[in-house]
Amino acid sequence: MPDSFAVEVKNLSFAYGKDPALKNVSLKIRSGERFGIIGPSGAGKSTLLLHLNGILSGDGEVKIDGLPVTKKSLPEIRRKVGLVFQNPDDQLFNPTVEEDVAFGPLNLGLSRKEAGTRVRETLKQMNLEGFEAKASHHLSYGEQKRVALATVLAMQPEVVAFDEPFSNLDPAMVKHLIEIIESLDATVILVSQQILPVMASCHRLAILKDGQVIRVGTPAELAADRGLLKECGLDVGFFCSICKKLDL
Amino acid sequence: MKHDYLDKYSSLDSVLHNLDPRTKIVCFFSAVIVIVSEPREETTAFLFYYLILIALLLASHIPVPFFLKRCLIASPFILMAALMLPVSFLLGGKSASGNLNIGVFVFSLSILLKAYAAIILLVLLTSTDRFHRLLKGMRRMHLPNILTMMSALMYRYIFIINDERLKTNRARDSRSPGRFQSGRIKVYGNQTAKIFLRSWKRAQTVYQSMLSRGFKGDFPEFFRLQFKLSDGVFAVIMIVCFGVVRVFI
Ligand SMILES: Nc1ncnc2c1ncn2[C@@H]1O[C@H](COP(=O)(O)OP(=O)(O)O)[C@@H](O)[C@H]1O
Ligand SMILES: [Mg+2]
Repeated sequence: MPDSFAVEVKNLSFAYGKDPALKNVSLKIRSGERFGIIGPSGAGKSTLLLHLNGILSGDGEVKIDGLPVTKKSLPEIRRKVGLVFQNPDDQLFNPTVEEDVAFGPLNLGLSRKEAGTRVRETLKQMNLEGFEAKASHHLSYGEQKRVALATVLAMQPEVVAFDEPFSNLDPAMVKHLIEIIESLDATVILVSQQILPVMASCHRLAILKDGQVIRVGTPAELAADRGLLKECGLDVGFFCSICKKLDL
Repeated sequence: MKHDYLDKYSSLDSVLHNLDPRTKIVCFFSAVIVIVSEPREETTAFLFYYLILIALLLASHIPVPFFLKRCLIASPFILMAALMLPVSFLLGGKSASGNLNIGVFVFSLSILLKAYAAIILLVLLTSTDRFHRLLKGMRRMHLPNILTMMSALMYRYIFIINDERLKTNRARDSRSPGRFQSGRIKVYGNQTAKIFLRSWKRAQTVYQSMLSRGFKGDFPEFFRLQFKLSDGVFAVIMIVCFGVVRVFI
């Protein structure tokens, strides 16, 4: 059986004004796969994510589940692809948690009742029962992160893409988030400059540098190429040596 | 970071808090119009208006010191406006009748009383309901969507801007041991510019996150507001009280 692709990117280029941020990027991500995109800061990772549901559009082709991202297909595309932004503050703009979670489903045209059901289900899934009427700016950072994820999951997307999900999290929260990510019933894209948690949870990874994909492979394949990781500023040998030294 | 200075006391349980925001908006704004249009010689009428306002304040269960502090914020402007008149008469030296008469003071006093009455009602309105419910009320009253949407976003951005301000404050203070004097204005200028640039960038990201959740320019409504019997009762009481003072006193 041929693979079906959740995301296909073909020869995608994009520039902010004159500065190219993406150069001829091509990627294929299988349905149900957890796919990591790693690269140093400024590599164009966030820019690439914003192309997946048509917030930015550059030269080239992006297909979600076989459907090309065009102006006409935008509503369908945005239902299929959920973006979880790096900073939960950017994602939570409604007065209460439940209104924030309901925002997406209501935009999809669901009735208030259906949206209410989605809110309850998703908050339960994220272990956030009882948070419905709270204001999100009164929550802790970890709780905000989970609410931000809930706002996306409530739309039941087929592809969930995370931008720097592990930034600002303590180690226990990183572990918890990986567990949540691994339990998702969707194609997952993780974009991060923190290579270890991505390697731990993804089936395959791509390395992005200066707007170009320079390598795609399994975590084991990439880990074997220390030279390449070093060259991209992604080598974690330093941390491993600390762990060894402290016998962690 | 905790920000409850705006919504403080807005979720108490009182007669006023439990009213529909639309009832309060209409009643309070009508009351402002009634008070402001009262002829300025009717000093007894103002006494009665203030008695009604005090009754409303007591019914709201809001702590009086908090309430007064809020009213105080607007005071400089009002005092200035009220003082302008006698001062300009004194400086100009000549009024219509050639000397400073009691009428000018009555006029200033009535400006003061009217302005404070308006402020008291506004503070009562904003501290007896959560901001987003007031906005929802405004929207249900068919105020332009763009207006309520902008207010909603502004309310959201106040917190973002305040966060950025605290962050840049910390960065500034940690690098200026002791009091810094020279170039102070320039430092504040730079800081302000930075706060706005950062806030602008974040506003853009917030908008992108809204788009990615299917936003098409209309805020969907999750809650419905509902009039209750108490709304009708409150409106009737307000009409009777203000009507009696306006017409008979
Ligand atoms: N809104 C923007 N305007 C102009 N340039 C931008 C903007 N956003 C990102 N860039 C630039 O595009 C490049 C890629 O940025 P980004 O996709 O955010 O990288 P990453 O997420 O990998 O850190 C960087 O050089 C960055 O400075
Ligand atoms: Mg980024």
